[in-house]
Amino acid sequence: MTVASTATPKQRNHFDLFEVPRKLWIEMSALEKKFLELSWKLHPDKFVNASPEEQELSLKRSSELNDAYRVLRDPVGRVEYLLELEGMRKEGEHKQQAPPELLEEVFELNESLDELREAKASRGDLASLKLRLEFAEKNFQEKLVEVDAQLQEAARQWDAAIDANASDADRKRIMVRLNELLNRRSYIRNLVTNVAKELS
Amino acid sequence: MARTVGIDLGTTNSLVAYVDPQTGTPKCIPGPSGSTLCPSVVSLDPDGSIIVGEPARRRLLTQPERTIYSVKRLMGRGVADIQDELKLFPFRIDPSSKNVIRVRLGDKFFTPPEISAFILRELRNWAEAYFGENVDRAVITVPAYFNDAQRQATKDAGKLAGLEVLRLVNEPTAAALAYGLHEKQRGHVGVHDLGGGTFDISVLKLISTSEGDIYQVLSTNGDTHLGGDDIDNLLQAFVHEKILQEHRVDFSPHSELAQELRQALIAIKHQLSENESATLRFPLPNGAVYVQEFERAAFEALIRPIVDRTMGPVRQALADAKLKPSEIDEIVLVGGATRTPLVRRTVQEYFDRKPHTELNPDEVVALGAAVQANILDRGVSNMLLLDVTPLSLGIETYGGAVAKVIPRNSTIPASAQEMYTTGVDNQTGIDIHVLQGERELAKDCRSLARFTLKVPPAPAGLSRIEVKFLIDANGILQVAAKDTRTGEQRTIEVQPSYGISDTEIERMLEESIEYAEQDFAERQAIEARTEAETILAATQKGLGTPQAASLPSEERAAIDAAVAALKESISGSDYKLIRKRIDELNNATMRLAELVMNSAVSTALQGRKLAEV
Repeated sequence: MTVASTATPKQRNHFDLFEVPRKLWIEMSALEKKFLELSWKLHPDKFVNASPEEQELSLKRSSELNDAYRVLRDPVGRVEYLLELEGMRKEGEHKQQAPPELLEEVFELNESLDELREAKASRGDLASLKLRLEFAEKNFQEKLVEVDAQLQEAARQWDAAIDANASDADRKRIMVRLNELLNRRSYIRNLVTNVAKELS
Repeated sequence: MARTVGIDLGTTNSLVAYVDPQTGTPKCIPGPSGSTLCPSVVSLDPDGSIIVGEPARRRLLTQPERTIYSVKRLMGRGVADIQDELKLFPFRIDPSSKNVIRVRLGDKFFTPPEISAFILRELRNWAEAYFGENVDRAVITVPAYFNDAQRQATKDAGKLAGLEVLRLVNEPTAAALAYGLHEKQRGHVGVHDLGGGTFDISVLKLISTSEGDIYQVLSTNGDTHLGGDDIDNLLQAFVHEKILQEHRVDFSPHSELAQELRQALIAIKHQLSENESATLRFPLPNGAVYVQEFERAAFEALIRPIVDRTMGPVRQALADAKLKPSEIDEIVLVGGATRTPLVRRTVQEYFDRKPHTELNPDEVVALGAAVQANILDRGVSNMLLLDVTPLSLGIETYGGAVAKVIPRNSTIPASAQEMYTTGVDNQTGIDIHVLQGERELAKDCRSLARFTLKVPPAPAGLSRIEVKFLIDANGILQVAAKDTRTGEQRTIEVQPSYGISDTEIERMLEESIEYAEQDFAERQAIEARTEAETILAATQKGLGTPQAASLPSEERAAIDAAVAALKESISGSDYKLIRKRIDELNNATMRLAELVMNSAVSTALQGRKLAEV
């Protein structure tokens, strides 16, 4: 067995590598099975006595396999990757603008955070501020759950569009929606992380 | 044919193991003393030769200035990193050390990989003497939580010892491999590995597939500075303080007396694993004897903070594997420090199940390394290890923040591509800083490498350079860059922030010739000659005893002939011939040895009542 026998001439995308359609719902046990099957074939441990070229190729191909598995296993990472693949999103893009409908709440939150930092520095009264922030944190946690549900719904729409062989315009509309939700999610998550950090 | 072995390069002890081709089971190789443990201690003799293992450990007491232990704590670390260690360990660091630390033994300086190489070389000698064959390839284990620099330093040590390092395997993973063979378990396995200087926790999934068994590491966590050494330090500080108070005797924590106290306390620690109490009697220079009774409960109260420190990494590893303690089917204890009853109890309570301790916790990592060495050596096997990188890999971005490109617990090999471009016209270089760690700011993470990407002069933003970061199956970083505009490929000479450069390694390899192994055959001949001299001396002594007179003349003639033949062979360098003649002399003196032995026994029994015997 050589790496070459399982290699393909062009770099394949993660969906192709796992031989799954470009859909957002993926059967995890089937994905794992495929991962293990390919690991047997590609892992560098199988090529310790092979030529340097084959060792190099095994390293490249097995790292691609592991990278692909890591992305596809993660429900959010999977959406990001799909959008990058479809040219709807740049790699590593995380828009940090506050979604307009959240502006007021974010503004209030940031104010409370500033107050907390000041109070910490001047050893002022923390208890009431903390209570306010905990309440805000809970509020944004709920929003995170909400956006996750919306993301799931949009993902279902995407899969349905693929199944129905929908028009490019329809697909594009769903992707725009997915991208919006991803940005919103990333923004809220950062907020929650920041608040949690200040509270701890 | 050259052999491949597995080596556990430990903080306190190191071991070498192999898989017996007949039985297929892994086995640790004993050294000259018969023990499989080689204390990880190195001493520089005044005559310039290097002494390793038990003889070196004894010199900790007599020549502490020329002797070093626990050097693993220094591997891959910079001078700034080790200030805390210096308070606790008698490392004598070259004050002019810059990035790479140099340690003084007597009048010479060595880097930590060079010292580790002496240990590896010793183990290699053990294995070669055992097989009577050359050993040139090895799998070496490292703590799972070792970072890139620490791994690189270990690989360098292997190279300096003349070994091709087939793979660095994480210690808990190796232990799981040894246990998997032993127990035939399936499901989720936790490996709790508390060694002399490091703590690791790994969570694995054991999967049976049609092609064989897969050991998939789901997550790992740990502390590369937490282990049995810390218990010793704590005990030492405690007793030191009491001696100061009660006897007004003060001594430097790095003195010979301190070393003696440490050894005595290690013995107490071991006793407390078996017994409920132990008594320290320590003679002081002023003639007084310090006596301290240790109860296990008090000992446990003293060391509880250390044991508790293992639980943070345990919780994190489970969270990363998305498992609850109750979802761990088996928990395995590894490392000498897990003999401590408090450690066992703490683990048992947290996971609510009895941990596995069937395999010798000192040997299990080496046994697993041997299994992996065997798998790799053959290339094809019905077993596969899928390990992870313990720490996230990141790149410094604006404002000193870190962008993570490969998250921790990613299966390795793993890679990430990043695209870079220029910010101003005719910019000729882009600075890249690679880091490892979980913190958000570059200054809080471990700096792995800094380098400058050269770009041809062009208007800003025109150049596009794709940089590929790849963590290989050893957990070591490789970097390659491609100019996507010109298609030019470049491998980047990554100057490790705290490592030794390749040119330095080459220089050390050349310099190490004075300590370098002689040719394999020559080394074997030296060992065979030493053995021959021992047996010749013993024969001489035997022939001088009264019992020798009772030997029949033909037996006496046979012994004389065998002695002459052996003497003749040791003037040459054919070690096989020397071994053969040793065997022949052994056979010829069998009866003489028996006579001498019986007489010795009866002499020893003389004057004692039969009932006492």
